[in-house]
Amino acid sequence: MKSVLLVVFIALLTACSTAPYQSIDQIEVSSSDVLAQLPNWYHQNLGLQLNGGNAYPDQTALASLLKQADLEFIRGNFQACQILLERAQRISTREPSVYVRLSYLFWLEGNTQSAEQMARRALALVVRDPVASEEVKRLLVAIQANQY
Amino acid sequence: MKNTHTSRFKTFLSWSIKLSLVGIVVLAILMAYLDAQVREKFEGKRWALPAKVFARPLELYPGLELKPKYLVQELDQIGYQRVPNVVTPGQYSLDGNEMDVYRRYVKLYDGEEQSARVHLRFSGNTIDGVWLDGQPVALARLEPLLIGGIYPKHNEDRQLIQLQDAPSLLLKTLVAVEDRDYYDHFGISLKGIARAMVVNVQRGGLVQGGSTLTQQLVKNFFLTRERTLVRKATEALMAILVELHYSKDDILETYLNEVYLGQSGRRAVHGFGLASQFYFGKHISRLSAPEIATLVGMVKGPSVYNPKRKPENALARRNVVLGVMHDQGLISDYEFAVWQKRELDVVQYSQYQRIEYPAFLDLVRRQLRSDYADSDLTSEGLRIYTSLDPIIQRSAEQAMSNRLASLERGYRMPEDSLQGAMVIAGTESGEVEAVVGDRNPRYFGFNRALDANRSIGSLAKPAVYLTALRSPEYNLITPLDDSQIKIAGANGSIWQPQNYDKESHGTVPLYQSMAQSLNQATARLGLQIGLTNVVQTFNDLGVERDIPAYPSIVLGAFEMNPFDVAQMYQTIAASGFKTPLKAIRGVTTQDGQLLSRYGYDVKQAIKTEPIYLLQKIMQRVVKEGTARYLNSQFDASLNLAGKTGTSDSQRDSWFAGFSGDKLAVVWVGRDDNESMPLTGSSGALRVWAQTFKDLPLKPLYPLPTENIVEQWVDVEQNAISSEDCDGAVQLPFIQGRLPLQTLSCAQEPAPSTGKSWWSRMFD
Repeated sequence: MKSVLLVVFIALLTACSTAPYQSIDQIEVSSSDVLAQLPNWYHQNLGLQLNGGNAYPDQTALASLLKQADLEFIRGNFQACQILLERAQRISTREPSVYVRLSYLFWLEGNTQSAEQMARRALALVVRDPVASEEVKRLLVAIQANQY
Repeated sequence: MKNTHTSRFKTFLSWSIKLSLVGIVVLAILMAYLDAQVREKFEGKRWALPAKVFARPLELYPGLELKPKYLVQELDQIGYQRVPNVVTPGQYSLDGNEMDVYRRYVKLYDGEEQSARVHLRFSGNTIDGVWLDGQPVALARLEPLLIGGIYPKHNEDRQLIQLQDAPSLLLKTLVAVEDRDYYDHFGISLKGIARAMVVNVQRGGLVQGGSTLTQQLVKNFFLTRERTLVRKATEALMAILVELHYSKDDILETYLNEVYLGQSGRRAVHGFGLASQFYFGKHISRLSAPEIATLVGMVKGPSVYNPKRKPENALARRNVVLGVMHDQGLISDYEFAVWQKRELDVVQYSQYQRIEYPAFLDLVRRQLRSDYADSDLTSEGLRIYTSLDPIIQRSAEQAMSNRLASLERGYRMPEDSLQGAMVIAGTESGEVEAVVGDRNPRYFGFNRALDANRSIGSLAKPAVYLTALRSPEYNLITPLDDSQIKIAGANGSIWQPQNYDKESHGTVPLYQSMAQSLNQATARLGLQIGLTNVVQTFNDLGVERDIPAYPSIVLGAFEMNPFDVAQMYQTIAASGFKTPLKAIRGVTTQDGQLLSRYGYDVKQAIKTEPIYLLQKIMQRVVKEGTARYLNSQFDASLNLAGKTGTSDSQRDSWFAGFSGDKLAVVWVGRDDNESMPLTGSSGALRVWAQTFKDLPLKPLYPLPTENIVEQWVDVEQNAISSEDCDGAVQLPFIQGRLPLQTLSCAQEPAPSTGKSWWSRMFD
């Protein structure tokens, strides 16, 4: 039920967007625009993002793919989002925020088992960052309790 | 008398009428039957279109380590032409550290990439800048290499075209050369037959056919190649039926797609669409007049006039066709004079004259089997996007064939007596990037990577040590007994494993036992921790086959194939996170509609802490142990990890090794399962090293958790020590599993007087 609500929420976000749908390559969106459009719960839990903050690093392939993935997420296009995250994973195999995002995606799709495994993968990668660790642990607990 | 004659005539007439009626009925039935055949073929799906299989698209981005020579190799393979300045899609130029690639439009399973100029700047072997149509970008994708097809049994391949795709000069030339009356006849040409008969009578045999294009099409579609009058008559009848039902344009378009135009290995090249790509590396609409002449000339004899295999014949035939074009006014006197002198200009290396990867294609086919019927794969023109990395695959193939040959020479073994297999995958993604199933990588046959089930020897040991490290009683320095061991089997047999050096090493710490691959200590450890627990660890690591809980399994006395071994080691390399190895990313229909996607999947199979310790030991195997050869070949900062394996009587040589991003399992052995003078270290390890020698690898950093503590210990005394004590060495431990004793020195700091050999092991 909750995931249905979340999906509706995302759909609303997408519907509220005034921009007509464009292919990702045609869009010139600044990093802060993308981050600002992400739901808070998604946004805040990504405190472990690259460079230690809620920002995309400049001009890297990884950041570009994450930004595109987030855009697709905002639009509710989860499959495209997942494909982009998998491309990001190939480029940077140990980037925890890729796995956190994948965890959210699976959770939203009602696949809590995979969501939990993705979160576990992320947790193993953030062990040196206590703040990020705590965030991923909270995510894990929430998934296990099947609540947000 | 007259009456008798009249009566006979009447009888004759009566029989003649009856026979004629029977003949007409038989002919009508035959025509109806042939008509049904013609309509069924023309109105149904005319051709089975094999699935096309693609490699991964190469992602280019600043920071990517990629030798320019490998990029050039890939561009050549995907049919790009090297030019001084790029002007059209499909070209590239290289000038010092700068490279321009005019990318062609490409459709992938996850979107499309527009045609664009990709500019790259290299700094040594790293890309340090990417521009797309002049704008700096974070990344750009190239089109993927077509790596093969999944063909029906007759191995026909074609690229369908529509009539309007073909240049009108091609149509006119084809008609002029093969069937001048095409637009006037009704399927058969009486003029053509008469002409052929004259030639045949003059030469005293069947040397020329009077076949129209329609008859040729009918022959290819429905009939055999034999030259009999019955077949010829059937062909004529069917040709008439085809003309009755279908327009000239429809028949011509079908002919253009059907005609056989040569062979590429096991693949039969059919149709002008594929032939244009195969011989000239270009779309049919861009063929030049001499190229059209070459292809039309091939229709008469695709083998005899093959421009790649018989260039002299092809050139002569092309000029004959140019002559016909000239006579018919299709080309001018000047053009005829100039083009006659032109080379054939066949491309030597094009996307469509591809190298095939049989072992990888075999894996793709098997992985698709659960979702697609064989007939879908061979007839629906599906597009299959895989994770094959042609650069890694090529390196693996070359390493396998070169190394096996040099091992045979070095150990005075008969030529071609060794065989090998290799599987390479991304450690985290689980994507298979290369598969070698035979030392001849182009061989379509027994795929050792998937089907050679062989004893894995010491490759089993990590599972044994991992089982110990999962239990609270063991840590890295737990002393193990390496004395001789004898175990009585149920049937009265005795199992008495020995170390490779036939020596016993007394008491050894756990990590050293594995780094040195000690059989006796491992056998004792396996029995201590329980064989069912060891089997459970194998299963957790991803081994799905039944492993009997016999003592000898701890030394790998059971069979696995390289692919299954790679699955087991993937879990180890990815810190206990098991990802099913997969070769396919996505499948689309012929027109690009996504049918299925095979995404990333993961499951934590083993806790991170014991895997962390195991990875540390496996790094020791490379640094100090049986795989130390890698030290001389690779930068120490890569921190490679691995395990060698040698089965009983040296019948199998294995190595499984990984970096931070790549995992590769290599098997070397003999098909007759005879002994070799090779161990895992002297055989498979060398192939592994040569494969990756020239490829970029990322360093391996085992991931500790908060439950891992670094502790100064005294290995010989199995006790907690401190930094200042003699012989102290710092090692990782899982919280709560530290040695029980503490050295007195650990409470009374003393100046260090040098390090023991234990310490040196961990420097």
